[in-house]
Amino acid sequence: MSAGVLVVPGLSDTARSEWTKMRTLLSTKVTLAVTALLVIGLSAVITWAAASSPRHGTDSQILVDPLAVIQSGWGLGWLAFEVLGVLVVTNEYSSGMIASTLLATPKRLRVMAAKGAIFSVVVGLLSLVMTFVNFYVGHAVLSAYPQFYDPALGANDVLRAVLGMALTSTLMGLVGFALGVVLRHTAGAITASVAVLFVLPLVLEALPTSWRNAVEKYWPTQAGSQLEHVSRQAHALSAWWGTGDLALFVAVLLGIAGWVLVRRDV
Amino acid sequence: MIQVRNLTKRFGAKTAVDDLSFDVQPGVVTGFLGPNGAGKSTTFRAIVGLVRPDAGTVTINGARYHDLPAPMREVGALLEAKAYHPGRKARDHLLALAEASRIPRRRVDEVLGLVGLADVARRKAGTFSLGMAQRLGIAAALLGDPPVLLFDEPVNGLDPEGIVWVRTLMQSLAAEGRTVFVSSHLMSEMALTASHVIVVGRGRLIADSSIEDLVRASSGSRARLRSPATASLVPHLRAAGATVEPGEDGAIIVSGLELAAVGDIAFQAGAPVHELTRIEASLEEAFMELTKDEFEFRAQGATGAGGGDPAGTRAQKLAGTGVQK
Repeated sequence: MSAGVLVVPGLSDTARSEWTKMRTLLSTKVTLAVTALLVIGLSAVITWAAASSPRHGTDSQILVDPLAVIQSGWGLGWLAFEVLGVLVVTNEYSSGMIASTLLATPKRLRVMAAKGAIFSVVVGLLSLVMTFVNFYVGHAVLSAYPQFYDPALGANDVLRAVLGMALTSTLMGLVGFALGVVLRHTAGAITASVAVLFVLPLVLEALPTSWRNAVEKYWPTQAGSQLEHVSRQAHALSAWWGTGDLALFVAVLLGIAGWVLVRRDV
Repeated sequence: MIQVRNLTKRFGAKTAVDDLSFDVQPGVVTGFLGPNGAGKSTTFRAIVGLVRPDAGTVTINGARYHDLPAPMREVGALLEAKAYHPGRKARDHLLALAEASRIPRRRVDEVLGLVGLADVARRKAGTFSLGMAQRLGIAAALLGDPPVLLFDEPVNGLDPEGIVWVRTLMQSLAAEGRTVFVSSHLMSEMALTASHVIVVGRGRLIADSSIEDLVRASSGSRARLRSPATASLVPHLRAAGATVEPGEDGAIIVSGLELAAVGDIAFQAGAPVHELTRIEASLEEAFMELTKDEFEFRAQGATGAGGGDPAGTRAQKLAGTGVQK
């Protein structure tokens, strides 16, 4: 029983704790490293395959939007970050760690804010490194094929598209994070994440064209991915409106997550 | 001091804790007893805010757990053995908890030494045995050096040496003036560790008293009587309202009469008395006696018939107290 002054912990202490939790799990570090390698490797292979393909139609993506080809491994990266976002939360529930966490910090929103912030910073910084490595690797591949336009960072909107990839990835990760808080179970939350990212967009394909174009335009993961394109796609929001659409979706999910987190039993 | 007032918690149709009120005082080890599903763990979880009560309040030194400015410095709790991620090293687990509570890093090594895990501090906690997991949970509870401690089944999975260690630890924590609230399904262990007990059954308070009072009250008046003239004596005892059962080695067990009355009747009947002893109940028997209604109610509910068979009821009692969780 310390007779001294009671030291009152705050948000920064919770954040420091969450950072310790993240860096002391080998599985998290391995997931991040494998994701980075896969996204960079896959992007390079797709860029090389597209560039070395013997025939190109006039609408071939490598002619229209080479930057999107350079970054094409990101679909996998988004899924991986969503899954990681799910796991940083559901791991606590499946292991029983959540009881220890909430004993140390009974203010649940503070725990969610600290955990979400640490996760965003880690995923954001890693994505930033990945997107630049992707860009320069793609640049190097394309330099061997002078018939294609090889985007430079200084060119119109290219830097925005490269930086934007880090922002979109972080938001995608937060989709998984929020779904993890709401659902608590790994399998359910991963299923929901995959549904948001891949399955529902596929279902949209079955809708009549006029409906599809309208829904696709605002579907958050579709809208958010516009930031990677230098040229604007048909039936799509502009890059920043699209990102705003995704950010709003994430904000709503996080709001729901916080609301249920403080109300239910652990 | 922990104050539980009219605590009620329902899970769907099941009422886990039903209008429960009690205080846990500092300076003594208070035991928390009750059969399976009596609501002990739910009560523990409500004390620290992991479970939201449907009604009632729980305060620790006057404040709700959620409102304590530095909770781990005021309350330490071991709720479930494995409240950690198996992939994290024991020391890192405690470090994360210490950081969240702004507790200095050196305290982590201190408590690891205190619970005897210093040598395995850098091993992944997932490789720990149940006994080591309990020690890690106790280390976490002690991190903030708190004046209030809660332990849910702390001796589960511990070897005999570990059990003695936990018992000594609880008692020394209480002797330092802390509030120590501990549940266990091992009555004999509780009789050795605690000096006060709170007994619950089906979410309701059954008893809140010192162990001595509890045992004395449920011992009632049972006596062992040894006499060469048992046969002639028994009718006199029965006439006085006593229940007489055969005991070991020709002795008889007399219940329902005060010890002095039994002696007087023997004297009047002219029966020589070789032994007349009061039979003290153990805490286990006292507990059985107290929670009898809970179990009998259940046995009847299960068979759908009133009365039930005594042997079955007895078996239920034994099963109910023998295995927790």
